[in-house]
Amino acid sequence: MELKTFGKSMCHINLSTGQMDMRPAPEEWVRKYVGARGLGVRYVLEAGPTVEPLSSENLLCFVNGPLTGSETSMSGRWACVTKSPLTQTVTDSHQGGWTGARLRWAGFDGLIIEGKSDSPVYLFIEDGQIELRDATEVWGKGIHETVAFFRDRYGKKNLSVNAIGPAGETLCRYAAWVNEDDRAFGRGGTGAVGGAKNLKAIVIRAGIQKSRDLDSDAWKKVRRNALDGIRDERNITSPKKGGLSVYGTNVLMNATNTIGALGVRNSQRTSFGDRAEAISGEYVEQNILVADPTCHACPVACKKEVEVTEGPWKGLHMESVEYEPAWSLGANCDNDDINSIAKMIDQCNDLGMDPIELGNALSMYMEATEEGWLDDEDAGLAWGDTQSMVDLIEAIARRDGVGDLLAEGPARAAETLGHPEIAMACKGQAVAAYDPRGLKGMGLGYATSNRGGCHLRAYVAAAELGVLQGVEADPLAWKGKGELVKIFQDLHAFSDSLDLCKFSAFAEGAEQYAEQYSVARGEAFSADDVMATGERIYNLERYYNNLAGFVEGSDKLPARYTEEASTDGGSKGHVSELTEMLGEYYQVRGWKDAVVPEDKLRELQIP
Amino acid sequence: MLVNFHATLRAIVGEKTVDLAIPEGSCAIELARHVAERWPALADQLLDDEGEISGRVQLMIGGRNVRWLPDGSATRIAAGDVIDIFPPTAGG
Repeated sequence: MELKTFGKSMCHINLSTGQMDMRPAPEEWVRKYVGARGLGVRYVLEAGPTVEPLSSENLLCFVNGPLTGSETSMSGRWACVTKSPLTQTVTDSHQGGWTGARLRWAGFDGLIIEGKSDSPVYLFIEDGQIELRDATEVWGKGIHETVAFFRDRYGKKNLSVNAIGPAGETLCRYAAWVNEDDRAFGRGGTGAVGGAKNLKAIVIRAGIQKSRDLDSDAWKKVRRNALDGIRDERNITSPKKGGLSVYGTNVLMNATNTIGALGVRNSQRTSFGDRAEAISGEYVEQNILVADPTCHACPVACKKEVEVTEGPWKGLHMESVEYEPAWSLGANCDNDDINSIAKMIDQCNDLGMDPIELGNALSMYMEATEEGWLDDEDAGLAWGDTQSMVDLIEAIARRDGVGDLLAEGPARAAETLGHPEIAMACKGQAVAAYDPRGLKGMGLGYATSNRGGCHLRAYVAAAELGVLQGVEADPLAWKGKGELVKIFQDLHAFSDSLDLCKFSAFAEGAEQYAEQYSVARGEAFSADDVMATGERIYNLERYYNNLAGFVEGSDKLPARYTEEASTDGGSKGHVSELTEMLGEYYQVRGWKDAVVPEDKLRELQIP
Repeated sequence: MLVNFHATLRAIVGEKTVDLAIPEGSCAIELARHVAERWPALADQLLDDEGEISGRVQLMIGGRNVRWLPDGSATRIAAGDVIDIFPPTAGG
């Protein structure tokens, strides 16, 4: 493997004709947009920003970063980039595990997929070859059964299976791709784009290959520097010592609960009180944790594998109980039963659905039920009714009954019910587990995210929760958040394009990213280049969205966050000062409201 | 005074909530020093080289990190205040 050749091995696959071509990415694109997220967005732009997401013309791009598959710490990532059927924006989602690395080891940097197959197919990839094969036998099956099917057929050794489930096949707008049973391209409905193309799975068989560049002293030095930071006991990434490693992402539950940034009952309240403990990372670690699996090249091991030992789902063995679904299907739905949450996360893994969007759809429906806004024949859903939630999740994936409505996502479903105000969504995608009244910067991040409501585009919570020494910010202050959000968005746009795990930013920064990318690229690349490139990628996405119809006034939060005061915790009495923050933000971005002006495009050499 | 410990700090203290014998009206830094004295394994995380509250923990009174309160580590703890101490937490 030669890192300096990244982008040369892009396979273009037309599912309508079965034609496949190896075409290198234009060098200019790789130079300007790096790989993974950035390069994928540049490809998707080629299909035109007004393309119908579920049409055969939409591109479905699976793209590695230049570091994917190398021994770089936390590099076991790749990106799925397409136009989202949920938001109508460009979207990118990232997956951990081993699949991206195996794609590289099999000889490919990315798959650019267009068209639509007449019948269900899967891609089989091995040793520089890609074949389209019949997937009729697994169409309709859950992801767990699909993975088992391919393991039976091809053997378990060196095999990765990335598949859609029934939710993708029925075009649920928040369907996901899931690999190796439980690592997902979770957000934005990329699984529905696969379903619309009759593409069931990508099966890759490839053993580990070492990068030749790792023989260089320069590479060893920069890799060691980054790894030392990850292992530093002062950082939450420190293996077996840092909070992220010991408790996983759910180490956050008690913190956001305490500061009043944990939405409860569809964000009607801002803290779960004493009940948060029962769904926290500490509780999981003490009661149901059985293992700490990890992704390729990651010493952190933030995944938390559990076994349910009591109740109706006794015996369930699954990974991973994460903070986001523990909130979306837990506190957000007034549910403090961690066993039921494990069950529902496993349903999402098997049916192929985004649990954040799902939890928001359920909580919206619960509020509509409580308010009496449903038709008489609709039974509705009570807060915290876990068995009914489990049943409804299955119905959503199959689009049975009211499941058909909720498969459209909370924003469309609430609109249909005549109450769009109870969808906690931005640009059609639901928000995540950080209430904007208790973490003001996260609210601005949701509103200005290029893929709809999203906590990861600008994970400014790292500053607001005090994780990054020297970059701390008061979570309840709004001043300065415009610039802070821009910095985080640009930095993450770059790291998502390398493609390193988001959590690397808890131990690394632009300097470390630049050092590693310099060696991979074979020429000097500075920390300033990291930030400038990240800015270009963020603006490219915004340019796409502007062309897709997202113009002035499109960066918004649900009124609940700007008009209804926080009820509990440290943020009690606060609302989001979104208008003020947007003013700051647009100024530092150099945008005219939500729109990138021509001079900014020229300055950044977009597209 | 009831103090809640979280995540890796709880693993050292051994329980979630501890009743500490600290005089009413004590301030946040006095609480931090008391905790550091009782659990020396926490001292490095709680206090910096100057003996002030370290940036590596969030000592919260009523859900607010004292760092962001007007009196900072000198903030007085009133009867009934809920006290929480967190190590750095993030994820998502």
